[in-house]
Amino acid sequence: MTDTWHLSAVASLVENLDKRLLVALRDGSNIIGTLRSFDQFANIVLESAVERIIVGKMFSDIPLGLYIVRGENVVLMGDVGANGDLDGTEGLIEVDNAEIIRAREADQTAEAMKGDILKRMDFLDE
Amino acid sequence: MSAAEEDAAVREPLDLIRLALDEKVYVKLRGDREARGRLHAYDQHLNMILGDVEEVITSTETDEETFEEFTKTTKRSVPFLFIRGDAVTLVSPPLRS
Amino acid sequence: MSPSRVVPLTFARGAIEKIAKSRSRRADVKSTRVLDVALFYSYFKTLVGKPVTVELKNDLAIAGTLVSVDQYLNIKLENTRVTDEARYPHMRSVRNCFIRGSVVRYVQLPEAAVDVDILHDATRREARGA
Repeated sequence: MTDTWHLSAVASLVENLDKRLLVALRDGSNIIGTLRSFDQFANIVLESAVERIIVGKMFSDIPLGLYIVRGENVVLMGDVGANGDLDGTEGLIEVDNAEIIRAREADQTAEAMKGDILKRMDFLDE
Repeated sequence: MSAAEEDAAVREPLDLIRLALDEKVYVKLRGDREARGRLHAYDQHLNMILGDVEEVITSTETDEETFEEFTKTTKRSVPFLFIRGDAVTLVSPPLRS
Repeated sequence: MSPSRVVPLTFARGAIEKIAKSRSRRADVKSTRVLDVALFYSYFKTLVGKPVTVELKNDLAIAGTLVSVDQYLNIKLENTRVTDEARYPHMRSVRNCFIRGSVVRYVQLPEAAVDVDILHDATRREARGA
């Protein structure tokens, strides 16, 4: 093994094999899973994957199973639990899957309404 | 051709950027961002390193009460900044008098 | 043994060997693709161990110590801190991370680690060679 091999960022993902990883995707979702495999494009295989949704002070993990993520959609990957014993949910309340989805929808509706009111007020500019 | 003559030749667009090395350049980026700074390095992807950078972000914001839209510009200074080329939309070298 | 256990681990070893092989091949052949990224790849290698702030195209900004970089300018950081943690609550437990090069917008460089004369020379050399 050469020095360049050790310096390679993708290759160093080998240290994360079999560990729980947080993977942020380009669509804004956050997946947590056990890293079982990867390649030079950062395509990855996650076992026992969950999507972690956080809305305000609530969170919920939605089970996804085995996930193969295409590398180009990966924004970043980080160890979960590398920060002492924190897993990132401290101070958050765990709710069930249905509730977090309702909460997220309510959040999105509120945002959309804001935009809608704006649109209706557009005529004021004329 | 000597190395100096070679360096001064302009054959393709990026040669103009080479002539702007160590000069102040204006860079426009995706996402309504602009950066001005001294060009210290670049490659053919237009990855670059700028020094004494002033970055300006233009965003449209909405007043929470009146719902009026207004444009906001945010400025900041960074001593040295690497810019990834795929976000760059245009580069303007300094004007020569 | 569960099937998901069998597939990925062997798959990973194969992938790693493949990367290692393609790397040693690349070292022999002076292809232009290597020249393409050589300047910034080489430069970032000199920053290993130094503090940087990586700003992503999704506006997330992560400060940390540069651990490694590769030819795609993928970046690995240690002791990371997200600048706006309230907006990115998912990142609270993450203290080291791999960032895909293609999602990077900026990297703020440590002033002490920038030698502009070396950068100018390297850039001129690269422009001539490419």
